[in-house]
Amino acid sequence: MPPSIPAFGTDLSIARPGVRMPRAPALLRAVRRDWPGAAAAGVLALLVALALGAPWLTGYTYDRQDLDHAFQGPGRAHWLGTDQYGRDLLTRLLYGARVSLTVGFSAVAAESIVGVAWGTVAGFYGGRLDAALMRVVDLLIAFPSLLLAVLVTGIFGPSLVTIVLALTMTAWPAMARTIRSEVVALRERDYIEAARALGARPGRMLVRHLVPNAVHLLAARATLDVSALILTEATLSFIGIGVQPPRPSWGLMISESFQFLQSHPYLVIVPATALCLTVVSFNVVGEALTERLDPRQRQRG
Amino acid sequence: MIRYLAYRVALTVPLLLGTALVIFLAGHYAPGDPVQVLLGDHYSPGAAARMRHELGLDRPLLVQFTTYVARAATFDFGVSYVNPARRVSDIVRQTLPTSMRLAALAVAVASAAGVLLGVWAALVPGSTLDRLIQVGVLAGLSVPSFVVAAILVLLFALRWRVLPVAGWGIPGDSVLPVTVLAAAPTAYITRISRASVRQVLAEDYVRTARSKGLHGRAILARHVLRNAALPIVTTVGMAFGYAITGAFVVEVVFNIPGMARVAVDAILQRDYTVIQTAVLVYTALFTVINLAVDLSYAALNPRVRY
Repeated sequence: MPPSIPAFGTDLSIARPGVRMPRAPALLRAVRRDWPGAAAAGVLALLVALALGAPWLTGYTYDRQDLDHAFQGPGRAHWLGTDQYGRDLLTRLLYGARVSLTVGFSAVAAESIVGVAWGTVAGFYGGRLDAALMRVVDLLIAFPSLLLAVLVTGIFGPSLVTIVLALTMTAWPAMARTIRSEVVALRERDYIEAARALGARPGRMLVRHLVPNAVHLLAARATLDVSALILTEATLSFIGIGVQPPRPSWGLMISESFQFLQSHPYLVIVPATALCLTVVSFNVVGEALTERLDPRQRQRG
Repeated sequence: MIRYLAYRVALTVPLLLGTALVIFLAGHYAPGDPVQVLLGDHYSPGAAARMRHELGLDRPLLVQFTTYVARAATFDFGVSYVNPARRVSDIVRQTLPTSMRLAALAVAVASAAGVLLGVWAALVPGSTLDRLIQVGVLAGLSVPSFVVAAILVLLFALRWRVLPVAGWGIPGDSVLPVTVLAAAPTAYITRISRASVRQVLAEDYVRTARSKGLHGRAILARHVLRNAALPIVTTVGMAFGYAITGAFVVEVVFNIPGMARVAVDAILQRDYTVIQTAVLVYTALFTVINLAVDLSYAALNPRVRY
């Protein structure tokens, strides 16, 4: 085919020199490329802002009861109404977001530290140490995360610290496994060989070369984990062995209002919606990050 | 195969011993004195010392642990701290079958529904039905079980009144609990079977079977399902995991006297002997399930040899 005739399906904006796509700002381009990811990121940004601003955004406290004004529907005084004790539902929702996010982020931070350390050491040193470390991981991964969380809470008793500990226990083995497989692949790269040839000690190679190069996996994995951990926290709180009253948590709010499901279903629906929206948003952002940061995970060419 | 089995069974011993050690030490160093709890209002230093001696709590830690393990090996887990009239082994015997029956029902429902939906979706890829099933799968996997429970109770028990809300021991009592327990596993099995069947449908031998004139049902039964079975069967083991842990939510919501309920109550009341036993029972249970899953790999796939 002669080069002067544009083939069928050729993008005309490129073929005709006069017409060119305007350069969109980076943010706009990101939104256009992946609007669900952008929307989910927007939801999360809003959530974090609301959670941070909770003390200034409402005129109520999460635990002040006002039995004369229980079960009020949404109105001017209480935007989302009040619960069975007359506590402002919006306030409890916002403080519940603080609890969920704090617990989720702390556990993910702890889990990342343990998982990255465990995974890089196992992957880098290999051999028997690797086998031993990974056996522990295999063992823990075999247990469903809710069960592990319940068992840890059972041993140490319900408290905020226990929850974070329990969530960390459920998540770090998978993180260690992900990081290990990346480190095993990186170990044979030329720049590690070069560092070794230059006489770098193992510790330095780990910290300077391996961890920074495996860390891109961390961002996506950690985002997905926040979603799973918030869900586990809500489940623990729902069962009654997570966040303890009067402190609000979405899971606890749902369980406290469960008996009023018939007469006042919105008391369950509101926190359940917040929980599902948050969990789905973290998942969508996590998937988007996986696709963006790890080219091998891309499904569509 | 026999050697692998022996190896795996032998591995469970250190695992259970390790678990026993962790819960034993945690119980020993945890705040709260069991003797004080057991004596309650009858507490006096003399009585406490006597009871401590009776229970063997004044002996060296290693001796205590050995005694604990020796007794646990004969299913003697002592008495409940909160309700000293009840032996922990009796509590387990009364409540574990309830949980297991619900879990087994849920796995059966999830396997049947999941395989059916998954294969159906795989046979008509891209259709409205396929897309509907996909949306259902996404919902089943991302909506937490207690929200599923709330929705089902609201619709079936409160609005339409076709099923009991929380009565246990009346007809239809296990329909809603089993449905909630089966929701996530069904979604999971559907996803895996759809993917597995689609992959097999693209194989050369399926095209050969089709080109030699074999009719659709025979291809499905003889070639597709048999080859797609392996990943599906292994998810059933996972479904068991979902169903057993889902019980922590379901037994609390529907007020079912099962093992998970007992464990949650024990955690809330700090009933440590019961907690210890629950940890051991669940650890043993999952060790067995994981072993069964690994062995099913070998049994189903002639290419896997241990």
